[in-house]
Amino acid sequence: MNRTGLLYDERYLRHQTGPYHPEVPQRLTAIYFGIQKAGLLPKLTLLSARRAERHWVEMVHERTYIERLEAACRSGAVAFDSPDNQMCAETFETALLAVGGVLEAVERVMSGELDNAFCAVRPPGHHAERSKAMGFCYFNNVAIAARFIQQKGWAERVAIVDIDVHHGNGTQHIFEQDASVFYYSIHQHPSFAFPGTGRDFEIGYEVGQGYTKNTTVLPGMGDDVYGQAMERDLLPAMELFRPEALLVSTGFDAHVDDEMSDISLTSDGYAHVMRQIMGIAARWCGGKVVSVLEGGYNIERLPELARDHVSILLDV
Amino acid sequence: MFVQKSMTRKVITVGPDSRVLEAHDLLQRHHIRHLPVVDSDNILVGIITDRDLRSALPGGLYGKTPASVDTGPYADLTVREIMTPKPVTISPTNTIEDALLLIQRIQVGAFPVVDEAGRLQGILSVRDLLRAFIAVLGIEEPGTLLGILVEEKLGQMKKIVDAITEENISFGSILVARHWEPNMRAVFPYLLTNNVSRVKKKLTALGFRLLDPMEWYMDRIPKVD
Repeated sequence: MNRTGLLYDERYLRHQTGPYHPEVPQRLTAIYFGIQKAGLLPKLTLLSARRAERHWVEMVHERTYIERLEAACRSGAVAFDSPDNQMCAETFETALLAVGGVLEAVERVMSGELDNAFCAVRPPGHHAERSKAMGFCYFNNVAIAARFIQQKGWAERVAIVDIDVHHGNGTQHIFEQDASVFYYSIHQHPSFAFPGTGRDFEIGYEVGQGYTKNTTVLPGMGDDVYGQAMERDLLPAMELFRPEALLVSTGFDAHVDDEMSDISLTSDGYAHVMRQIMGIAARWCGGKVVSVLEGGYNIERLPELARDHVSILLDV
Repeated sequence: MFVQKSMTRKVITVGPDSRVLEAHDLLQRHHIRHLPVVDSDNILVGIITDRDLRSALPGGLYGKTPASVDTGPYADLTVREIMTPKPVTISPTNTIEDALLLIQRIQVGAFPVVDEAGRLQGILSVRDLLRAFIAVLGIEEPGTLLGILVEEKLGQMKKIVDAITEENISFGSILVARHWEPNMRAVFPYLLTNNVSRVKKKLTALGFRLLDPMEWYMDRIPKVD
């Protein structure tokens, strides 16, 4: 059994998105109760939120953007940058707690105290651009974690594997000119899904060319296509890149029962994908992997998806 | 949208009495395929394309830097001798639709854009047209495309637009296409949001049929086994 951390904190429920929004606090409680009900909590090291120091957020986001978000939050604004990004007075603080919690989990794993961790945080991050909030995301948790790992000297080459059903435009744009962070995303084909980026010819720029890879999946496709695509596209790329640390943008919204996509991944399909990722971590990163929640909106399915995800991290 | 907005204004040109090898060098250096030929008053007199150069120059010269090869009798060849005189042009106040229809009809790669006096104002290439078309589709802005099947009768579009507007969602664009079923249209609103599940339910409740995304393009992609 692995020493697995679980980051969960009730303060992550304070970010409210208003009525009729899919990115709701109940997502996290569903995930937590799924893990609890399966009897996994005693096997896990529970981690709680902590506030990220600004300078880490500034490794990825423009200072003016951070200030703009803070000011919008103070002024009582209900949306930020786009009507998708519904917010409340607690949003800025919650977003900082999400980043800080993820950095805490990363530190525990990279220092060897834990083998791996799952961070059940919100708001999510992978759509957040350097200076723009988008697609329910404010701070790019995973991108900041990658820079944190590099700055602390734990690893030079960091791989980010993004299995959310939407393309992580923010993460890609942040690293697309950087050969030290490999960004791989598998998602519903952008002609059929938000945000419309992540086409298979987007492979990075300049020195970063070849360090971004996108697999696009057509509507209706599921377990087989995902399994094959990861073997065809991700595994060989990792053989060449040889990551020293692995971060996962985990979105559960490719599930067949999730209304946010037309992809038909089953719960078993998700488990298979996660096992493939664990294989990469074992081969290249001494098993060290930190998984960070992105999307996933079906409250009925999230408990089992989280249970399986954490069981695979624990290797039980 | 007017041509003026989408054309490239900084145009590389040559004079009619310039050497062909000089024109060749300009095309190579700037990675372009069309070189408007203008006189000293910037009046358009012709155009020279990479295809013209390919036919005018022998294989040993085309694509090479002049200094590296013996240019022989081709050193004195002038632009005037090989250019297409009086090419089809377009005006800055023509629309992009004009340009799309015209380019399809006469099959050129670019139009010189000239004012009423015949002075060169810019050039509009297939690449510029594509850029304009991408802007019209709005596909570089983040959003989600829906496909809705509607009966061809008055007021349907209003219902769709109202339903979407009530959800406080902005439109990137809307395309309407014929559908294979008689008296039906396929409507494709491109919505600037990630949050479409509620509006999808609403449209279904209004009696609209949402098209399976794999049927959007109306020709089936071979099944992946």
